[in-house]
Amino acid sequence: MRALLWLASIIAASLLAFMLGGYATDVYRKMLVWIALALSYNFLFGVAGQIAFSQFAFAGVGAYGVVILAHKLGLPFGVALAGAIALCSLLAFIVAVPSTRLEGFYLALATLAFAQLFLVVVNEGGDLTGGTGGIAGYRLPDVFGYTLRGPWYTVVLVLLVALTLHILLRLERSSFGRACRAIKDNPAVAAAMGIDVRRTKVITFTLTSTLAGLAGAAYAYVDNVINPPVFGLDNIFLLLFMIIVGGMGRPAGAMLGAVLLYLAPFVLEPIVGHAYLVLFGVLVVLAILFQPKGLIGLIDRLVDRLGPEQRA
Amino acid sequence: MTTAPLIKVEGLTKRFGGLVAVEDLSFDVESGEILALIGPNGAGKTTTFNLIAGVLVPSAGHIALDGQRIDGMPVHRIAGLGMMRTFQHNMPFAGMSLTANVLIGSHRKLRASVLDILAGRSFVRDEETQARQRAGELIDFVGLNAYRGADVTTLSFGEGRLLEIARALAGSPRVILLDEPAAGLTTAEISRLSAMIRRIAADGVSVLLVEHDMHFLLPLAHRVVVLNFGRKIAEGGSRDIVRDPAVKEAYLGEAAGALREGAPDA
Amino acid sequence: MDDFLELTVSAMASGCIYGLMALAYLIVLRPTSIINFAIGEWSATGAFVGVGMLSTLAWPRFEGPYILAIVAVVVVLGLLGWAVERLTVRPLIRRGAAVTSPILALLGVLVIFRESLTLIYGADPLPSPPPFGFKRIEIGAFAGASQQFFIIAVTLSLFALVWLFFERTVWGRAFEAVALNRRAAALMGINLGRVTALAFAGGAAVAGLAGLLMSPMTSAHYMMGLPLAIQGFTALVIGGVGRVEGALLGGLILAFVEQLGARYLPIPSGLTLAFPFALLILFLLLRPTGLIAPREAR
Repeated sequence: MRALLWLASIIAASLLAFMLGGYATDVYRKMLVWIALALSYNFLFGVAGQIAFSQFAFAGVGAYGVVILAHKLGLPFGVALAGAIALCSLLAFIVAVPSTRLEGFYLALATLAFAQLFLVVVNEGGDLTGGTGGIAGYRLPDVFGYTLRGPWYTVVLVLLVALTLHILLRLERSSFGRACRAIKDNPAVAAAMGIDVRRTKVITFTLTSTLAGLAGAAYAYVDNVINPPVFGLDNIFLLLFMIIVGGMGRPAGAMLGAVLLYLAPFVLEPIVGHAYLVLFGVLVVLAILFQPKGLIGLIDRLVDRLGPEQRA
Repeated sequence: MTTAPLIKVEGLTKRFGGLVAVEDLSFDVESGEILALIGPNGAGKTTTFNLIAGVLVPSAGHIALDGQRIDGMPVHRIAGLGMMRTFQHNMPFAGMSLTANVLIGSHRKLRASVLDILAGRSFVRDEETQARQRAGELIDFVGLNAYRGADVTTLSFGEGRLLEIARALAGSPRVILLDEPAAGLTTAEISRLSAMIRRIAADGVSVLLVEHDMHFLLPLAHRVVVLNFGRKIAEGGSRDIVRDPAVKEAYLGEAAGALREGAPDA
Repeated sequence: MDDFLELTVSAMASGCIYGLMALAYLIVLRPTSIINFAIGEWSATGAFVGVGMLSTLAWPRFEGPYILAIVAVVVVLGLLGWAVERLTVRPLIRRGAAVTSPILALLGVLVIFRESLTLIYGADPLPSPPPFGFKRIEIGAFAGASQQFFIIAVTLSLFALVWLFFERTVWGRAFEAVALNRRAAALMGINLGRVTALAFAGGAAVAGLAGLLMSPMTSAHYMMGLPLAIQGFTALVIGGVGRVEGALLGGLILAFVEQLGARYLPIPSGLTLAFPFALLILFLLLRPTGLIAPREAR
């Protein structure tokens, strides 16, 4: 039954790819990447309670990694992809080990520094990274003899979201997810119950950063262009806001927040111009003050009220 | 009992700057024994408790659990060896159901790694089912059956204490450390708690408790260690302790009345 | 040698700005444990308020004397900090929300401030007149722009004042007591709400002054906040999240490493941008408590 639901959702989301066209396709694809990133960031921040500013930096490592390895160094695509993802895991592990050693906001600081450092390296990387202009003019090679272009690449992105969601749901519903929640609530008590707090944090950070890298690698072939500003700090704020507004700790909330805040500017910008960013800020403050469970919490309450007899 | 003690504390000393909170303290706890640590305010009970639980590192001396040194070990590894604890101020994981809270206690026994979980291996599910079943039994045992799915923040203080005990028991501990378990409970709750602790000990689990309430403690404890100014001033059965002149001296003016009233043969 | 001495003056001035930013973090962080990333935007706000008080380039186009601009920045930013505390932080603390909640809410505040600044003042940089013109000044062997000496003088006086406040006044003592143990401080009769409000007002005023002092060198610009926030933060980590003097020390170390490295190390100039981050990572790895440790509660 559940497998059917997954299949139906994937098919529906893929069909949409064939119905859209032109600009709408571009919007849809980028929205899918945002959803994938929001899902893994939600696990890190909403479920496990770790504040990090490096999600887009790791997406950048994934994107630049695969493009440089495949198109600058000429490695076979499969090797390049695996290499880029492995690099993400390794870097995430290196960042996580020292910065989870201490309580508090060291992870936030270390990841902030890492994210900025990544930008400097990319901007100053010369020919290899293309500097401030980035890299363009490459194309996704055929994968197993298939040429993934147009709507078929959008299907790849749908599968990326499905895979990310599948992995994270499985983790969240396991003892590991429970341990993460316990650590978020009270690390000292979690440790007293036998949970290795640091190990759990390192695994969570490494895993979610790797998923970010995967999403980044997929993003690299959306426009066949990558450049530094995409992976900067402004986007990490937006990602954070998506999760806060949608509902921290809930995959459905993260997806809802990603869709709404990604699409909102298309509606709002013609009306209020850049002021929509002020609205986002206000929305975030209001959500934290009055609706900490986010929009998904509101929907839960609405569903409860409409159908109380159906509650388990 | 002639077997080696389960917990062995030897020459335990803790200094904070110039202040000696615990000095050269030694005692043992046998399997299935209920040992109470008492003393006037500031005697070093809580410090001793935190040293054994691994929250503090001793300045000198050592603590062994079943022959293995645990002083200086990280808290989660001490718990992993089978020493579980409760908190004086209840510390439930807010935002998690009662059952999930109890399940957290079972984590030291779970073997599933992240890779096992991601691979969807079948033993992971079996392990989880077993843990859930055990958690259900423990919730029954402490009498919180009616609140299984409840938000733990809505529990009363006494119910929260019972949750603490169920969570600690979920780890199938060899030792359970209780930090002032009777504090804040009603008389009825205290008598239920006493019965519960006796049953836990009867199953072979050692119980080490730090407590103020003599009415609760003296009839319950198999053995009592009395601290004053960080030193052990007496050790023995409840009856001997209340008659001990050094203990009377230490408690004079503070809880002497309580000592007399709480004596099991009074 | 002249080159080095001139560099010293310029590094001292930048270090003072970083130190002020670190101080703005510290004033809020000590009693509340809240890292307020919005102070970067508050310094940008201070710069714009200053431009408005000194020139006809921005509202209120006052063209007043410099001292009035300083007073305006302190008052306006103090009020803004106080209002932000009242509206966003206090309800969260009162509700007993986790300390991450106010930090995240303040990220929302950050975006609100930054975007409001572009709406009010536009996206173009506004030049900010320095109080002593663009003169060069020489004091002994040290030479530099008048503004650099002005920054150093104001910063040192401000640090002295803040140091005296914490060490010698009842209010300062109350701050420190709250930093060491909130509950005990409340039991002693210290009004936690008032300390928190004062911390935000004070932190905002210091950040605003840093922005005002900085603006003649970089112009007032809505994007000036984030770099300042990060540099101030790095200075804080280097100096130690404990004491006032650590903030200044951290700022100076950061500025000297940045400027001496950019001047004398044989690497492309773009890469020198990486220095603060490399330094931040280095300190988080090797000395996470910073150079000057806080006072510990026993």
